[in-house]
Amino acid sequence: MSPLSDNLDLLTPEFAMAGLAFLVFALDLFLPEGRKNLLAFVSMAGLAVLIVLSLVMLWDEDKSLYDGLLAVDSFSLFFKVFFMGLGIAIILTSMDFVENRLKHQGEFYGLLLFSILGMNVMAQSRELLTAYIALELLSFSLYVMVSYTKNSDKTNESALKYILVGAVSSAILLYGVSMVYSTLGVTKFDEIAEGLAIVSDVSPALWVGVGLILVGMMFKVSAVPFHMWAPDVYEGAPYPVTAYLAIGSKAAAFALILRLASEGFVPATERWEQWQVVFAVLAAATMLLGNLVALGQKNLKRLLAYSSVGHVGFILAGVTALSANSDLASNGVMFYLVGYSVTNLVVFAALISFFNMTGREMMSDLGGLADHQPFLAACLGMGLFSLAGLPIFVGFTMKFYLFTAVADQGYLWLAGLAIFSSLIGLYYYLNVIRYIYIEPALTGENGEDLLEEYPALTKRPSFTLITVLGTGSAAMIWLGVYPKPLIDAIESASRAIVF
Amino acid sequence: MEWAWLIPVFSFASALLIVVFGRSLPSKGAFLSILAIALGFAGFWVVLISWMGADTTTSGCFTSENTHLLTCDYERTWFNAGAVGDVGSVSINWGILIDPLTIAVLGLVTFVALMVQIYSLAYMKGDTRFGWYFAIHSLFAAAMLTLVLADNFLLLYVAWELVGICSYLLIGFWHERSSAREAAKKAFIVTRIGDVGLLVGILLIWREVGTFSMLDAFEAVRTGAMSEGVTTVAALLLFLGAMGKSAQMPFHVWLPDAMEGPTPVSALIHAATMVIAGVYLVARAFPLFEAYDADALMVVSVVGLVTAFVAATIALVATDLKRILAYSTISHLGLMMLSLGAFGVTAAVFHMMAHGFSKALLFLGAGSVLHSTEFQETGEMGGLRKVMPITAILFSIGALSLGGIPILAGFWSKDEILIAVNEHHNVAFIVLTLFTAMLSALYMGRAMFLVFFGPLKEQNEHAHESPLPMTLPMLLLGILALGFGLISFNWPGNYGGFGTFIYFLHPHEFHFEIWLGAVSIVLAVASFIAAYLFYVKRSISLDTVRSNFAGILNVVENKYYFDEVYQWTIDRVVLVLSRLIAFFDRAIVNDIIVNGPADVTRKFGIALRLHVTGHVYSYILAMAIGSVGLALFVWWRVA
Repeated sequence: MSPLSDNLDLLTPEFAMAGLAFLVFALDLFLPEGRKNLLAFVSMAGLAVLIVLSLVMLWDEDKSLYDGLLAVDSFSLFFKVFFMGLGIAIILTSMDFVENRLKHQGEFYGLLLFSILGMNVMAQSRELLTAYIALELLSFSLYVMVSYTKNSDKTNESALKYILVGAVSSAILLYGVSMVYSTLGVTKFDEIAEGLAIVSDVSPALWVGVGLILVGMMFKVSAVPFHMWAPDVYEGAPYPVTAYLAIGSKAAAFALILRLASEGFVPATERWEQWQVVFAVLAAATMLLGNLVALGQKNLKRLLAYSSVGHVGFILAGVTALSANSDLASNGVMFYLVGYSVTNLVVFAALISFFNMTGREMMSDLGGLADHQPFLAACLGMGLFSLAGLPIFVGFTMKFYLFTAVADQGYLWLAGLAIFSSLIGLYYYLNVIRYIYIEPALTGENGEDLLEEYPALTKRPSFTLITVLGTGSAAMIWLGVYPKPLIDAIESASRAIVF
Repeated sequence: MEWAWLIPVFSFASALLIVVFGRSLPSKGAFLSILAIALGFAGFWVVLISWMGADTTTSGCFTSENTHLLTCDYERTWFNAGAVGDVGSVSINWGILIDPLTIAVLGLVTFVALMVQIYSLAYMKGDTRFGWYFAIHSLFAAAMLTLVLADNFLLLYVAWELVGICSYLLIGFWHERSSAREAAKKAFIVTRIGDVGLLVGILLIWREVGTFSMLDAFEAVRTGAMSEGVTTVAALLLFLGAMGKSAQMPFHVWLPDAMEGPTPVSALIHAATMVIAGVYLVARAFPLFEAYDADALMVVSVVGLVTAFVAATIALVATDLKRILAYSTISHLGLMMLSLGAFGVTAAVFHMMAHGFSKALLFLGAGSVLHSTEFQETGEMGGLRKVMPITAILFSIGALSLGGIPILAGFWSKDEILIAVNEHHNVAFIVLTLFTAMLSALYMGRAMFLVFFGPLKEQNEHAHESPLPMTLPMLLLGILALGFGLISFNWPGNYGGFGTFIYFLHPHEFHFEIWLGAVSIVLAVASFIAAYLFYVKRSISLDTVRSNFAGILNVVENKYYFDEVYQWTIDRVVLVLSRLIAFFDRAIVNDIIVNGPADVTRKFGIALRLHVTGHVYSYILAMAIGSVGLALFVWWRVA
């Protein structure tokens, strides 16, 4: 067993990230109002440097830190780079919004960096308490970010709900951890697997503990029946934070679930085969309910909240199909996470751009968008097509890959249900596209023209948003047509946790 | 050569850029399109030169068992369906195949497309959808180039369909006119019928061989892994696709109507893109056709011969200038197919190129005439050589070339076809082929004399020569129509003539059958003289000829009633049937089976929405119930 601080240098990116966050907080004190935009650029530049640093330093690394609490392997490297890239994209997406609609800009970016740090540690942790702390770092940053527009009643309500429900779920998670520890005496994932494999007698405390840990995780990804906070919080949070909730925090939670399941549950083959059906039922309920309820939504943020619940159902189906002798399912889940994030980023960037111009967020407000904002409309349309899972976009490829993996593990009914749910999803995504392209422009409450009311609608979206939209759309098509390079990377990442 | 895939990519990129940014670019992005295809043309030279410098040690290159020529294949995995190496997993590749056939057609496509695009700059000037026109033009060229470069049937099929959709868009370019809409639909639907055959053929090959790769398929045929019956059926199915695209009887009806598009589009479709795809396909898949007893080739020959002959007779009586040219294209496509059927792959490709240059020239010439006089009917023209001399000279070169007058390109290629037919088929074939060649000279002479010779009509006195961007491409094409035949000789040095360049199993050293050549020269010259006597001197009365053959003439002038028969079938059989099905679809499928569950689902979703109450305590209650439920569920699974 190696000394605890032997290879501490492998954590350099994490230390640097914390330093970057503090740097942003400190700079904020000295920058005059109106120059705060610089903070965004500092954060992005820092993240870009960190991406390069991580790639150079940790390439092909496969080490364990702190006696096995943290793993520095290709899996965590993949997610680290992914999260930090996502961070850059989120900053680009939120710059306009933050500048025009939020106070305390420096703190916004600083908190964002802290939450990314939390996500990075989540992808690396292979021990329950470490994972819990990382999760809380992410959650606390998010609690603050969700309540950022603190003068709005709606925001306050949703932030309060988020904290309350989040606190309950944290309590449940911790309780679960303590029960597992009390029965097995260990908290490391691989030791849990060993414990599960050899325990022969059924101790209710152990199963309840595992169940409670699952509940805590399911809350984070908003799986049914722990999803109810999602629509309210999505609706009340500032738009970029909604995007971040839908993309970043979900991806991080799934990175953790993927490692926990692959290292902690799957190796105990017999137990895992008994539990798979639990995940399957959760997945089925989540995908069905999310997609069904989305049918009746009129607010775009709520719609996307339920749509994300539906997608979580699909990803959970992938988690169900994890197996000790095939990496197809974990590849599928990771591919889905990347594809879903890219697609959702495009959709949110387009909607944020529209919101910046008008301050509106109902579906019917999008009427006639294609006439005065063709580029925005096209990107939004492509993003929605991709979410619906239509080819040539990544939405098709990722669903195809994931559902194939699910069917391959013998869960044909689940794959069938997933396809059926996608079909329901198609309806409401196309409904939004109908507004964009077919429905006439909405007139205001007093019959005035939307264009007169919002002259910004005739102007171009800002450069930062165009960057996100352009690269995001290109990536969507690229990954939809030629996903092989990404899948190669994913395969090497999942080899770190599966075999 | 590995980088040859860039050739279509240039044009794809330009199409995309024009569509997205066209409105804000100078000249609406037309220059991008021309630049892209010019790069493609440059790419053709690079490929040609590096192919000539390559040998079997070059990466990806080997000597093909079928052509005995250096062939280079570069492929990459596109995606794998299923785990790699698993039984039943499919690996889908995209790749390029470079051999002399590819290179020859690459040259033809890039050059003609370049000429046509430059020409279009002037021809389409002022059109409201100028940018869109060039975007589609680029896409069209890109699709055709992909088709030519593809090394597997799947990619070929994708490009094939893309060519189809582009032709649809271009033929219907002036979609304000109902005739253009109809023509576009007709072209699309008729060729689609053939495409079904192509798709089934490709899937059949895939079922037998397990990959879409052409080389694997040829290998399977050569080693006998693919049985005789399957090979013949697959070849015939591929040929069905080729018949649709290359407008062979009875699918030829779309091509004459395709002239509803802008005239440069016709030049492109007739010379370089759409219609030669079919001929290319048969030439490319030739190992399938000639395998075993080459039964499939007999079908190809007969279809080709009938098409060539019938279309030539219609061309003789058509009065619309573009229509004459269209039927002439069909006839010459028939000749190419006939040549393929007679093992004359080299001759067919040679004729494809000679015809391509000449026909592009003729269509651009016709466009020049229409641009200036605004008439399409030959009856309204005459004597135009006095007002537009350059067009007149160049058009005549094209006409003489296609008519088969010696030293022009068309003469040499026609001669090659005659030799191939003479060697492999019986007397009836050669007689009919010669007769068709004679008709070809006759209608070409007729078109040339009616339009440019004789007295100038008063209504056309204001007509003028076209501007330089239109005449320059014509001039370049004219030079090729004049001199292209020279590449068929074996020049001193290493070059063994075009015959050894394509060289498909049966090497065709350039040779010249004295009697065949003599007969064809005599027939061609005599036909042009006859045309001169008929249409310029009018020393032989047309009316007496007409009255003598009134019965036949009536049938021919009505284009053998093909359109009428099709129309009747569609009206009386297809539409009646489809109305029945439509009723079933509306009442039962739509209202009950589709809308029924959809309505239920929607209402269910709207009702379920109410479970999110907005109260935190109910959320936490749900979580508590969920947690207990989950824990119990886990326990139940284990206990």
